[in-house]
Amino acid sequence: MGVYSWWRQPSLMVDNKRPRMAPNLPQLLSALTLLHLTVQVNSLKRGALQDLKCTTSNIQEWECTWTTPQGVSRGTVKEVCIKDRPQPCQKLETTKFKIKALLPGDHEVTIHYQNGFQSKFTLNEKDVSLIPDTPEILALSPDFRTSMLLLKWSDKGSAFPYPSNATWEIKVLRSRSMETVKLVSFNTVLSGKDTVHHWNWTSELPLECAPHSVGIRWRIDNHHFSGYKEWSNWSPLKNVSRPRGSEPEVFPQDIVVLAGSNITFCCLSRTKVLSGQIGNTLRPLIPLDGEDVVIHVLNIPFSEDSGSNVVFTTHYDVYGAVIFAGYPPDIPRKLNCETRDLKEIRCSWNPGRPTRLVGPRNTEYTLFESISGKSLVFKRFETLPNESYWLAFQMLPDQEIYNFTLTSRNRLGQAASALLINVTERVAPHVPVSLKVKDNSSTVVTLSWHLPGNFAKITLLCQVRIYKANSEEEVRNTTIKGVEDSVYFVNVDKLTPYTTYAFHVRCSTEPFWKWSKWSNEKQHLTTEAIPSKGPNIWREWSSNGKKLYIYWKPLSINEANGEILSYKISCSSNEETQSLSEIPVSQHKAEIQLDKSDYVISVVAKNSAGSSPPSKIASMEIPNDNITVEQVVGMGKKIFLTWHHDPNMTCDYVIKWCNSSQPEPCLMDWIKVPSNSTETAIESDQFQPGVRYNFYLYGCTNQGYQLLRSVTGYIEELAPLVAPNFTVEDTSADSILVKWDDIPVEKLQGFLKGYLLYFHKGDRDTPKSRGFESGHSDIKLKNITDTSQRTLRIADLTEQTSYHLVMQAYTNGGLSPERSMIVVTKENSVGLIIAILIPVAVAVIVGVVTSILCYRKREWIKETFYPDIPNPENCKALQFQKSVCEGSSALKTLEMNPCTPNNVEVLESRSMVPKIEDTEIISPIAERPGEIPEADPENHVVVSYCPPVIEEEIAKPAADEAGGASQVVYLDVQSMYQPQAKPEEEQDSDPVVVAGYKPQMHLPINPAAEDTAAEDEADKTAGYRPQANVNTWHLVSPDSPRSTDSNSEIVSFGSPCSINSRQFLIPPKDEDSPKSNGGGWSFTNFFQNKPND
Amino acid sequence: MLTLLCPLPAPLCLLSLLLPPLHPAAPVTPSEPISQAYSLALYMQKNTSTLLQTYLHYQGSPFSDPGFSAPELQLSSLPPAAVSFKAWHAMDDAERLSRAQGAFVALTQHLQLVGDDQSDLNPGSPILLAQLGAARLRAQGLLGNMAAVMTALGLSIPPEEDTLGLVSFGASAFERKCRGYIVTREYGHWTDRAVRDLALLKAKYPS
Repeated sequence: MGVYSWWRQPSLMVDNKRPRMAPNLPQLLSALTLLHLTVQVNSLKRGALQDLKCTTSNIQEWECTWTTPQGVSRGTVKEVCIKDRPQPCQKLETTKFKIKALLPGDHEVTIHYQNGFQSKFTLNEKDVSLIPDTPEILALSPDFRTSMLLLKWSDKGSAFPYPSNATWEIKVLRSRSMETVKLVSFNTVLSGKDTVHHWNWTSELPLECAPHSVGIRWRIDNHHFSGYKEWSNWSPLKNVSRPRGSEPEVFPQDIVVLAGSNITFCCLSRTKVLSGQIGNTLRPLIPLDGEDVVIHVLNIPFSEDSGSNVVFTTHYDVYGAVIFAGYPPDIPRKLNCETRDLKEIRCSWNPGRPTRLVGPRNTEYTLFESISGKSLVFKRFETLPNESYWLAFQMLPDQEIYNFTLTSRNRLGQAASALLINVTERVAPHVPVSLKVKDNSSTVVTLSWHLPGNFAKITLLCQVRIYKANSEEEVRNTTIKGVEDSVYFVNVDKLTPYTTYAFHVRCSTEPFWKWSKWSNEKQHLTTEAIPSKGPNIWREWSSNGKKLYIYWKPLSINEANGEILSYKISCSSNEETQSLSEIPVSQHKAEIQLDKSDYVISVVAKNSAGSSPPSKIASMEIPNDNITVEQVVGMGKKIFLTWHHDPNMTCDYVIKWCNSSQPEPCLMDWIKVPSNSTETAIESDQFQPGVRYNFYLYGCTNQGYQLLRSVTGYIEELAPLVAPNFTVEDTSADSILVKWDDIPVEKLQGFLKGYLLYFHKGDRDTPKSRGFESGHSDIKLKNITDTSQRTLRIADLTEQTSYHLVMQAYTNGGLSPERSMIVVTKENSVGLIIAILIPVAVAVIVGVVTSILCYRKREWIKETFYPDIPNPENCKALQFQKSVCEGSSALKTLEMNPCTPNNVEVLESRSMVPKIEDTEIISPIAERPGEIPEADPENHVVVSYCPPVIEEEIAKPAADEAGGASQVVYLDVQSMYQPQAKPEEEQDSDPVVVAGYKPQMHLPINPAAEDTAAEDEADKTAGYRPQANVNTWHLVSPDSPRSTDSNSEIVSFGSPCSINSRQFLIPPKDEDSPKSNGGGWSFTNFFQNKPND
Repeated sequence: MLTLLCPLPAPLCLLSLLLPPLHPAAPVTPSEPISQAYSLALYMQKNTSTLLQTYLHYQGSPFSDPGFSAPELQLSSLPPAAVSFKAWHAMDDAERLSRAQGAFVALTQHLQLVGDDQSDLNPGSPILLAQLGAARLRAQGLLGNMAAVMTALGLSIPPEEDTLGLVSFGASAFERKCRGYIVTREYGHWTDRAVRDLALLKAKYPS
């Protein structure tokens, strides 16, 4: 280690010495001095200190070199000796030697020189460096299509102890500038033998775009080796480049990429590239070597069919490439494998998401069957509709299980789906063809059809669809053992004879997978069979009883079982059977001359297959006297008949009917009802409303038919079609006898319920609203419900009057039209004479008597009616009329002068009236003191007066008390009598009534308590008093409180006098005075509608 | 030639009527075949623009961009139709017909090549493929007509040459698109030139 320290760390020794010197200086100094001296001696022997360096490339062999000491030439090396080895020394000629790897630990190495010098080293494995040999690239191959570099080299592992870990470092350099574009390291394990390693790398830039170089180095790590592990040298660079042409080139060309990926394009050009674009999108140019440029296309969208164009332009030309961006194939969807004929398996699928790649780039499908190892390929250039994706796999004999794998593959990837089937369970047969029908009998046919396919080992399940006109289709299942490519037969029974059927067939297999499509339709008419029953027959005797008419109904299609060719009738009695000639099919009636009535008639229908069972009917009709005709009305277009069960009726009941208006024998139709029935509903298209039909119920006994009931009726009653035809049989002065005729049955349209007869005076038309409920009092109605009645006498009529008669018949269906007639009653001559003579006689008698009386009493009459008239000039009373008038107010004589009303304007002191009513005074309002207690003297009251009879009255104290009484001023009067009136007014500060003339209606109304006093005063003051009691003229307003007080009084309004006064009424409007309200009634109150308070 | 045209669609059957029967022995006046050839060339002229536009439409951008034109693109195997008027005028009938004949021989072969190329690039575009096929057959029809004219004029018909050689294979998709563009473009130009050639001949040999 001393050598090591010397070799590796000479300075450490020096450093170590120093600290030791201090603590134990005397001993240490002496020891060091000794050691130093020794070394110094050795050094002197061999010269200067030199180092020994050992490396290994494979751990097993070391190679060491050292530097010869000064003064020692290289050729003077004699040998090297290493202790602890079997042959410790080996001869040397240079300063380099190789030795086998030494064991761990220090080893003393002594190098002897020929001149006697020697150098000593201590060698340890830890000081040895492991530097592997430079690796060598076996191959570097480019894949220009995928821009991938594939590197191949050998690790030469056989040279190393194993296991050893190797760490590799690879660098990729690009373009002439040797820019490192990739540096990657990874580990491998050396396994003791030479192993070739691969590494690949995909370049973003197409490899054609620039030269690429690859170098490699490595280092080895073995845990048994404790020395230094160092990188080997880089291997020589391997280059990949493509010879450039003279023309500019664009790369990559025609590549297929995943849509959405990023692509780099380069244009190698010797001239300047002006632009680069994909489609019509310009991309920035990124310079590469020289004039070469690249563009990056990010997130490329999927291309159209012909691919996306990348174009570079130079000054002289354009260059470009096409890229196809699309998607890897989807997993094949809905993979389904089935067979139609057990000869080939048809596998179909849905391609799923479109790849957007067409032409040679389109998806290729491979169908691989793993059991047989066979495969099929499906590839189309163009995109196909989904249903076009299928492959037919030929079945192999004796193989039922098939394991299919369908792989879809394009340049971007692949996907697969698998299906394991048992082919016998996946049979969807072909459409059955050549469907044929063969008759077996009239109800059984045999169907045959051909079904291609190898069904020898399986069972077919087929369906026959049977369609008959006017009937629901029927599907019958049948199971058939399969055969190979054969015709299959199936019997179809339970068919109806002589019926057209349409047949279809389809098949499946067991176990069920799918039905085939329905075969084409095959129509077939089944053969005829004999009619299943005889015709429904009936007979009618002619009216003279000599002929028997036989009727029958044609058989229905179901009963005829074929085409009826003819009918055959035979009649048999006890003695003989007589056959009539055949009756053609179009005829359904026959007549037979019979001499006696006891025959049995039989009818058979014949078709090509034979005759029907005979229908028999006895000719004899058992009489029944106990028959009454009943009436019936249908319900809902049906006639309901019920009857009691009769045990004698052993066969059946027959109901026949006919139109009642047709002559006998009459037959419209008949029905047969089983003998156990007691009711039936008859319905027929022939029935019409308003037509009367006769129905006959026959019971059948062994002897023959017996009429049980006879019914007449309507399916629906209607109103009579015509009015009753009526005439007036007789007319008298007070009555009319009306007679009418029956309405014919066919016009009645229902059962007659009665007649209505209206009559009224006058010759006008009757009102439209006439009827039973008519309120016209002048219209009289007679309802004749006795339908047998034919006459009616209308009594209590007025003589010689025009009467309007109207007549209607009615049924349950309504009223007939009406027929009207105007009849005038006759004159009553006797009554007329009496009516004239008696009054004339009475008048004459009265006249005579009166004349006589008048003559006798003529004096008395004169006195009474025409007295002598006195001469007015002799009247003395008129001579002192003036003095009397001036002297005394008590004595007055009323002069009856014509009264011409004039207007008197009454001025009042207060104007509280918002509205002046110009009211014609025929009432005493203007004089009511209480009503206008504070009347404005400026207000006017116009009062009519009679100028010639003006009288002035002195106001009485009582009149004063009628406080608030209006100050009535008669202007005309004042102008005439102002000198007298004025002093009186001034004397009385209280309101004073200056009443020269007192209208008749000066009525003290308010207050009520003063009424009587005022009245008394008025009695005293009034020169003229009207005859009526004016107390009764109070006007009572409904809102007047006083009206309640005086409501017992009868208030009238108006004057018996011819005087007509006018005045302005000033109603009290003093709200401060509650008495104003007590004033009672006022017009303003009334008009203004004010409340009293 | 007739048998080739017979199974064609309706528009092309018209061509078969226009084609003269080749009976070398029968004396033929030049005006009739010239007139027929001229009629066919006029008919072709109406469709050349449509063919070019349809072709470019299916090649994607920038080919399909409006106004696309790349006159610098040329094919060495296809003689260009552009010629100076002076040079064209200096040619005699034989040379004009010979050049046109050679050009349409090349065009028929190139149209076949373009049709094959487009079957790969646009397999789902029957319209384009049909138009390319129709153009090729019309070019063949015109070749037949011109042969008749040359026969009538007593000119020798040059043998058909393989103008494509080996150059066509291994072309990139971009090259194929460009090649198709040049062929359809030159087809139009050569048709225009053939109309002019034949119009000149028609004037020389009035019927």
